[in-house]
Amino acid sequence: MEDKTLISVRDLTVGFPAGKGDIHTVLDHINFDIGQGEIVGIVGESGSGKSMTALSIMGLLSKDAVIMDGTVELRGTDILNIDHEKRRKIQGDDMTMVFQEPMTSLNPVMRIGDQVGEVLKLHTKLHDDEIERRVAESLLSVGLKNPEELMKSYPHQLSGGMRQRVMIAMAIINQPDLIICDEPTTALDVTVQAQILALLKKIHREKKCSILFISHDLNVIKEICQRVIVMYHGTIVEQGSVDEVMYAPKHDYTRKLIASMPEQLSENISKDPLIHVKDLNIYYRTAGKIFTSKKDRMVYVKDLSFDIYKGEIFGLVGESGCGKTTVAKALTGLNTDIEGTMDLGGTMPQMVFQDPFSSLNPAMKIGKILEEPLKLAGVKNKTERREKVNEVLQEIGLDESFAGRYARELSGGQRQRIAIGLALMRGEKFIIADEPVSALDVTVQSQILKLLIRLHKERGLTILLISHDLNIVRHMCNRVVVMYLGRIVEMADVNELYDNPMHPYTRMLFESILTDKKKTDTDKITVNEVRPLKRDQEMCAFYGRCRYAQDKCQEKALELRNIGTEESPHLLRCCLRIARDE
Amino acid sequence: MKYVLKKFISLLITLFVISILTFTAFSVIPGDAALAKLGIDASPEAIAQLQEQYGLDKPILERYADWAIHALQGDFGQSFNYSRMSVSELLATRLPVTIILAVMSLLIIVVISLPLGMLSAKFSGKWPDVVINQTTQVTMAIPSFFLGIILTVIFGIGLKWFQVGGYVSPDKDFWGCVRYLIFPAIAVAIPKIAMVVKFIRNSVLSEINKDYVRTAYSKGNDENQVLYGHVLRNAMIPVITFLAMVVAEILTGSLVIEQVFNIPGMGRLLITSISNRDFPVVQASVIYITAVVVVINFIVDIIYQLADPRIRTS
Repeated sequence: MEDKTLISVRDLTVGFPAGKGDIHTVLDHINFDIGQGEIVGIVGESGSGKSMTALSIMGLLSKDAVIMDGTVELRGTDILNIDHEKRRKIQGDDMTMVFQEPMTSLNPVMRIGDQVGEVLKLHTKLHDDEIERRVAESLLSVGLKNPEELMKSYPHQLSGGMRQRVMIAMAIINQPDLIICDEPTTALDVTVQAQILALLKKIHREKKCSILFISHDLNVIKEICQRVIVMYHGTIVEQGSVDEVMYAPKHDYTRKLIASMPEQLSENISKDPLIHVKDLNIYYRTAGKIFTSKKDRMVYVKDLSFDIYKGEIFGLVGESGCGKTTVAKALTGLNTDIEGTMDLGGTMPQMVFQDPFSSLNPAMKIGKILEEPLKLAGVKNKTERREKVNEVLQEIGLDESFAGRYARELSGGQRQRIAIGLALMRGEKFIIADEPVSALDVTVQSQILKLLIRLHKERGLTILLISHDLNIVRHMCNRVVVMYLGRIVEMADVNELYDNPMHPYTRMLFESILTDKKKTDTDKITVNEVRPLKRDQEMCAFYGRCRYAQDKCQEKALELRNIGTEESPHLLRCCLRIARDE
Repeated sequence: MKYVLKKFISLLITLFVISILTFTAFSVIPGDAALAKLGIDASPEAIAQLQEQYGLDKPILERYADWAIHALQGDFGQSFNYSRMSVSELLATRLPVTIILAVMSLLIIVVISLPLGMLSAKFSGKWPDVVINQTTQVTMAIPSFFLGIILTVIFGIGLKWFQVGGYVSPDKDFWGCVRYLIFPAIAVAIPKIAMVVKFIRNSVLSEINKDYVRTAYSKGNDENQVLYGHVLRNAMIPVITFLAMVVAEILTGSLVIEQVFNIPGMGRLLITSISNRDFPVVQASVIYITAVVVVINFIVDIIYQLADPRIRTS
């Protein structure tokens, strides 16, 4: 369908000054085309040059970047080596861009309407009324309701998903020939990700524009792209149709990218509970007002009951804001305002945090960081502490030399190994891993997960794995609990849950997963941005978003009921009896 | 509206606390007005008589209650030092001068710092930035009284642009007063300009690398459009707080300049009154100054709300 070439990149080579007149090359003779109306994906890990490629095409390279060689042609005219004035005419008119972080990519002090309309103000001579009309139209077309009201609001009043829709509305309003999307769904929840991808497909169908789609996630690329380019260390290592690349990868790196997740298969888990939580409520205090003694104490997590068995990996999933991290904080004692029973079985839970870049003290050497838990435990002997540090460093796949380094000298994967090592220092048997790999590249992810599985097997570690990534949870966990707005909505053995998801929310989550299996129909995902209910309301919390919702759902508080067997319980908090295969 | 009320109540509380603090301070420090007026050689009877006349012999709580009741009606009593003048009258002549001086300094600061700060940020690392940086470095280091002396020598004695010591009261000739106050205002402003320029520059530079700026460029804005259309308002938010601090400082701290230029403002009144133990005047001055600072904070809060929509809703 694409007989005409829209963008043609030839020998693009870009670098940054690295001092002493050296130039550090970040893009090395890149060649590819984007056809008119084509969706091309670029996949690669961070630092592979995929964003740099997008910025080069868009003309947004930072001032110190050096274009060393090559051309970028738009319909046969070079746009790489032209002056700023000509460049500006193309930006926002012929091509637009959607960025990764919807939370920070909009101007916080400018009204939505002005921000979306700005493109038209810059590139057309339209009247203000006409611009306003077009903005409203554009907001409607990306699935946002009440455009008039929305145009008057500010970015902070919108959710992440809504902001990304605004960004897309901004990108399509002037009907560009090319939309560059740089990781547009990476910062979003899975359910929202699926909606945004569906929206982009719809736009592509209707507007017939080309899309350059950048992602580190092959499943996302496969979902939306026709052709894919694989980048590694600033070069293109493979390109071709999605099917060719995905199902018959030629290059080693591509194979590594596609290579599946590590799998843990320890079937015979004891039923001996290590952690026992019963009817736990977790509260947050909002600042009390002066002059009134009333302190707002908000229930954030409610009626939490579960056991974690000795030696199992227990998964906790749910979208952001559902209370996953709050549960982890309560278990580790970082959140003390709780009611109910919490029996930790004599363990002192250790935590592995999400962001390895900011959770290690940059001013301390790794050895010192690792020693700290021992010091706190009262180990006075220096050599004893050193020996223990070295021992743990070996165990997490690093060597003794790391003790003398600082966190900034380490890669993301190495840092996360240190974070895991830190959790092991005191020989505790229970670890809470809160999104341990979501900040890492795919290939590094699988290494870290493998490490966790190895430790789990060798040390008999019990792990509470918190993740929004349903694929990881499926491969890693024995049992899974799904939370929605501070409550458990479903809990079962991993296979039972994935084969027979019974709660409408769980089903919605699973429909949003992009797996390596081919899917024929993805447009059915409902666009649903209903504001959630307050946490302390008694009715079904999912009511507003539920596609099976009925009147009786509003009536009363729901209990968890067992719809499985005594042997392997399947707990569900839903009043409906939906057929298993519906 | 609720917000305004809340702020107003907090203003009242602040004033109340300050009044108690100054009252206590003056009862604790040795020496009182009677002693200061009559000198250390005065007979104990004479002192006792004057103390009785001023009401200094009553217990402190009673004196405070007396004072507070009158103060609420706008009556701050008689000055011990300037006889035949009520404190309110005295303040009414002094306060406007200080306020005019402060407002003029602020205008000069804003009008000069804003473009310089933006220019400095836009060309960061290039020659305009270097020149501005070097100049502000120097002016920041000059104390304002010295600057005042230099200005007096050059523009007063040398060029005769204003008459040295020829202060004009604002009631008689407002514009004459303004003209006279221009140079003192410049002396107050120059060291502050240096700080504000640096602050604006850093604030703009920290905004420039944010994601929304990249978005603005991607729409086809040129550098000036991005800088003035997108960055400026975001960068001004911390600057507003800084400016409020500067204004409070000017209002309470321009006393050296008042001495140098012979301006009968609040600063000079306060100095004389403190050394004379002219308690009613000091008390009222401190209350006024506090009120001004609190009111400025109140105004800043409102400007803040206008500038930053995120504060408006939370």
